[in-house]
Amino acid sequence: MKPVPLVLLITSVLLTTHVPLSTCRPRDLSLINNQLDDVLLNRAGEDAMSYLLQYLLRNLGAQKAGGVLHLPHFPTPQLRSPHEDNSLEELTEFSKRNDDPPISIDLTFHLLRNMIEMARIENQREQAGLNRKYLDEVGK
Amino acid sequence: MSGTSRAQLCFLLLSVTALRGHARFLDIQDNEISPEGLLSLLSSELKRELPEEFVYRRALRCLDMVAVEGQFTFTAERPQLNCAVFFIGEPSDIISIEYDSVNIDCRGGDFVKVFDGWVMKGEKFPSTQDHPLPLYERYSDYCETGVTRPVVRSSQNVAMLFFRLHQSGSSFTVTFRKLINPFPCNVVSQTPEGSFTMIIPQQHRNCSFSIIYPVEIQIGELSLGQHNDLKRSILGCAGSGDFVELLGGNGMDTSKMFPMADLCYSFNGPAQMKVGCDNTVVRMVSSGKFVNRVSFQYRLLGHQELQQMKGNSVEDVCLRA
Repeated sequence: MKPVPLVLLITSVLLTTHVPLSTCRPRDLSLINNQLDDVLLNRAGEDAMSYLLQYLLRNLGAQKAGGVLHLPHFPTPQLRSPHEDNSLEELTEFSKRNDDPPISIDLTFHLLRNMIEMARIENQREQAGLNRKYLDEVGK
Repeated sequence: MSGTSRAQLCFLLLSVTALRGHARFLDIQDNEISPEGLLSLLSSELKRELPEEFVYRRALRCLDMVAVEGQFTFTAERPQLNCAVFFIGEPSDIISIEYDSVNIDCRGGDFVKVFDGWVMKGEKFPSTQDHPLPLYERYSDYCETGVTRPVVRSSQNVAMLFFRLHQSGSSFTVTFRKLINPFPCNVVSQTPEGSFTMIIPQQHRNCSFSIIYPVEIQIGELSLGQHNDLKRSILGCAGSGDFVELLGGNGMDTSKMFPMADLCYSFNGPAQMKVGCDNTVVRMVSSGKFVNRVSFQYRLLGHQELQQMKGNSVEDVCLRA
């Protein structure tokens, strides 16, 4: 086999396989949609504690709510001054990378199970709605 | 056609088929193909897999659990310093989290981090022994790598998002997707009842199936290695590189749980065990020499059964708070 056609072949193959991938991007980002679920989103506040307390008061009764709920100890936020030198920033970045971040949610298994159950219900409801929409599209 | 030119043609065709294709679809309304629809084929913008109106969207809460694919936004109305969102999929899914738009103040101490696994009370699932990556690589910080690498994938069916936003008005949007995992290794079960077959195809790794309920496990079939080695069963599980263990405990970390049973050799036919702990784990250790497979079912233990177990046993291995 002559070398020149072989080189041409390899070059054409390498060039054609070098197609850049374009990333998928959504057309627009509408942040809130109108399909708000009343059960999940009718809350007084979005704070984790108020949500948990409301849930516990409703389901377990006021006596048990205090015992079951473990209040996590939040670390105090660090206030950074605007004129911070680079070395300190680099040190904090480095420590952030190498240490465990001091965040861990103090949930009981009971709360975790209930959260999973609610998420499953949401998933099943959404899947049922999607199935209905697909069948409607196909039926047209 | 001569042999060599046929070979070259086949090679060329193979290389061309290795190019990845992107799916596009025309939005046809009222059974008419509009000029915009045709032109959209030529535009470089690619549509998402689902059309816009089919994407599920909702707002995130500071403490949340998500099991449905879609686009989720968190907007801080006041400073939120310790928030976590748990993601969970089916056992054969892995989780993909994509940052769509993030408006936070990284230098001001805000962060959005994805963790490959779940953390609860300081305990991590999968444990460091069961996860392929070292611990610091399981955290993915938006402020460090979010712009260059906007899509983060988990190694199992669970993942978490930790975030801290100091200013009201900060927000971020993530898209949560579930991708198929052909050989699921570490799994958290969404339900207290179900069945699963775990296969480790000649890989040197440890896999855990975690059921966060007290359950009765029925192992239907266990296949460890290609042949039953008598020498191995005499030594017990400690000498064997391939075995299955049942663990029970009250935390997420499988390395801190108590072994309830060890299974070192293959068998057919149901063997059942009741584990009255908050977390029940079926863990398979594989040396990599064989294809190991275990099939099991599990069902929730009723309250009466748990009381009976408490009455029967002398010591309570799973201590309750």
